[in-house]
Amino acid sequence: MLEVTSLQKSFDGFKAVNNASLSVKEGEVVAVIGPNGAGKTTLFNLITGVLKPDGGKVFFKGEDITGLPSYKVCRRGMSRSFQVVNVFPRLTVFENVQVSVLAQQKKTWNLFAPSAKLAIGETERILENVGLVDIKDATSAALSHGERKVLEIAIALGGSPEFLILDEPTAGMSPEETTRCIDLIKQLKEKLGITILFCEHDMEIVFSISDRIMVMVRGSTVIEGTCEDVRCCQEVQDAYLGGSDACLM
Amino acid sequence: MESIFGFISPKILSQILVGLSRTVILFIVSSGLSLILGVLRIPNVAHGSLYMIGAFMAYTVSHLFGGGNMGFWMALVLAPLGVAVVSFAAERSLFQFLYEREHLMLLLLTFAMSLVFGDLVKMIWGAEYRSVPVPSVFQGYINLFGGLPFPIYSFFLLVIGPVIAILLWLLTNKTKIGKISRAAAVDREMVGAVGINVSWVFATVFIIGCLLAGLGGVLVAPTVSVTLGMDHTLIMEAFLIVIMGGLGNVWGALLGSLIFGLTQSLGILVWPQFGIVFPYLAVVVVLLFRPTGLLRSTW
Amino acid sequence: MKNPLLRGKLPWVIAALIVLFLLPLFLDRFYVYLAAIILLTGLCATSLNFVLGYGGVFQFHHAVFYGIGAYGTALMIIKSGLSPWLGFVVGPVAAGIVGFVIGVICIRLSKLYFGMLQISLGSLVWAIVYRWYSFTGGDDGIHGVPLPDIISSPNGAYYFTLTVTALSMFVLYRMIRSPFGSALQGIRDNPVRSEMIGVNVKLQQLIALTIAGFFGGVAGSLFVVVDNTVFPDMMFWTLSLELIIMCLLGGWFSFLGPMVGAGIIVLLRTYVSGLTVYWAFILGIIMMLVIFFLPNGVLGYLDRFVKKKARGG
Repeated sequence: MLEVTSLQKSFDGFKAVNNASLSVKEGEVVAVIGPNGAGKTTLFNLITGVLKPDGGKVFFKGEDITGLPSYKVCRRGMSRSFQVVNVFPRLTVFENVQVSVLAQQKKTWNLFAPSAKLAIGETERILENVGLVDIKDATSAALSHGERKVLEIAIALGGSPEFLILDEPTAGMSPEETTRCIDLIKQLKEKLGITILFCEHDMEIVFSISDRIMVMVRGSTVIEGTCEDVRCCQEVQDAYLGGSDACLM
Repeated sequence: MESIFGFISPKILSQILVGLSRTVILFIVSSGLSLILGVLRIPNVAHGSLYMIGAFMAYTVSHLFGGGNMGFWMALVLAPLGVAVVSFAAERSLFQFLYEREHLMLLLLTFAMSLVFGDLVKMIWGAEYRSVPVPSVFQGYINLFGGLPFPIYSFFLLVIGPVIAILLWLLTNKTKIGKISRAAAVDREMVGAVGINVSWVFATVFIIGCLLAGLGGVLVAPTVSVTLGMDHTLIMEAFLIVIMGGLGNVWGALLGSLIFGLTQSLGILVWPQFGIVFPYLAVVVVLLFRPTGLLRSTW
Repeated sequence: MKNPLLRGKLPWVIAALIVLFLLPLFLDRFYVYLAAIILLTGLCATSLNFVLGYGGVFQFHHAVFYGIGAYGTALMIIKSGLSPWLGFVVGPVAAGIVGFVIGVICIRLSKLYFGMLQISLGSLVWAIVYRWYSFTGGDDGIHGVPLPDIISSPNGAYYFTLTVTALSMFVLYRMIRSPFGSALQGIRDNPVRSEMIGVNVKLQQLIALTIAGFFGGVAGSLFVVVDNTVFPDMMFWTLSLELIIMCLLGGWFSFLGPMVGAGIIVLLRTYVSGLTVYWAFILGIIMMLVIFFLPNGVLGYLDRFVKKKARGG
């Protein structure tokens, strides 16, 4: 479904992503792991068109989407959530998701129909799925960090994606919130059949929900394979155990 | 001379000189604005008011000293200092609380201050036109190449301009405060972390910037009628110059002033009625091709 | 919708319209004129707020569209010899077109740079108008624009202004509450995210700028009706900043905020400048106080006050 070949991006001479490759098949859950600063978020930004790559190709559903602006990427069925909470702070929870649904339904050029009567059912359904329906009228700036992270995912779901990218979905969540979030991700895969690409620091989560794993170090793909492959790979051990900030097991 | 300038008519040459002397005023004022923008990140609309206050103070000082040569030289020294005192008061009482605020709010707030300053000037000096005499040493004209008269005072300005530019260069590159403030422009937290009192660095930079506005006001005073509202046109021009040159870049301000001054004076030759349009047009063209200004911005 | 201030708002709107409709019956000519000025200034501020408060675009020089609307109308009436009513179409449409063109040029830039390029383009328009004596009357402006009989009397002008303003405000309100408006507010809050949910951010903003320009132009052409004059100061940058202050003063996250702000500023200007020549001084002080103590404006403050009460009771 997604095919990334030798993607490259540098900032002022610093190679943030250098020769990263990745492939995701329909229905899979694939994790990208790697130490801090490995270029995971930059990789996601390159795939989703937030940044333009210096080299390499991105194919989505067989079509070349390299360098397309993100609104076009989104319209092809790819959504994402952000690592740093990135919601619409002045809008209510309901409106946050509704805007996304409206955009997906290509209604943002409609100047005269009242929003209040549009996309209600769709929005409610998403809020129910992610468990935010009780606080739908709260302003999103007033939510807890965990709730906002879930709202992140809900906004991404508003685009009815076939393919979803989650950038550290559980970062900063409490243990209970984390458990619920993992259940949610599993549900998205099983019930809605969404293909998921995500990155995460917590290895327990990674191994419990992913079908395959790609390991990135210093902007490059070290290995891409099943959980078993990755667990046994010497280079990964080195990168993590030799690195300073995270521990694999 | 004739051979070098053979292809340029004396009229064009004298317009270029007129443009250059205008450039000097624009540069002095907008380099101060740019300094404040670059280091303090305040788009200071009230900068124009300080220019106006400088001009009015020049009027008062020069009259106190009898309006002659002495009056002018005293004005040249005292009026910018007076403006510096005003700006010091403003910085300590208001601006120092604003450094972290949003740009739009700062723009509005400094606009509010410019209204207050404007009326304060009206209270102190009244709404009449004032004039500052050209000091006798600079009175009169010299004849340029084809016998075209050019005011001596403008030549004086043409000398002052480079002097100020060199002093600014020395200040920003060779002095400690200059180095610290350039560092603070890039990363103010870091400068604070190494134990420098950022608040006072900012105050100093602000006062120097405003001093330049005041100096511009003094220098322009003998060439125009000193009046209310002179701040409004100038501040807009200064802003456009700073944007065109690159926010916070003093050399950008010089380049921008040159473009602004020359397009204005030469534009008048091309199309007398719409001479005033050309500088604005130049800004638009520059920004179309270099959206963040000609030189590297510190933002 | 969820705004306690606006809950059950329809009766209030109707009541306000009735009061406004009856105003000329018990007010002097001067006050009727003043009311009309407030309405059209409020409309202008509201159209600015459409992109500023709801769109998050730094529209620093909105007065240009106000001026173009006014000049377009006045020049059409004087120079064309066609039906004067056509002027009221030409002015706003011209403002909308200029809004679009300036938007196309500026939209690539963000925030402060956008605002600054817009100010320079706006100043360019101002400079042309200011200098083009033969066409625009230069710094004298144009006085005594002949109007159709029905709107040439003070009351006629007032009712025309009231009707057009009410209609325009209604349309703007509908747009803000439409999917277009929702997307616009999303962009204001978070442009990167908006792009990622499939919104073409630049195009959306460009359309909004065109709409804002158009309604700014409507306000300008109303000024021709009420005051019979146009002059270049209508598009000087100081007026633009005053318009922003009106939005801020009333509250730029509430629909009626700019209208309230315009009312306060126009009334203050009229009365304070009757008492003292130092009107600008007082305006400056008020602006500073608002920025420091009422960052959400008068209506924003009231709104929070009402919400607090609602929660407490």
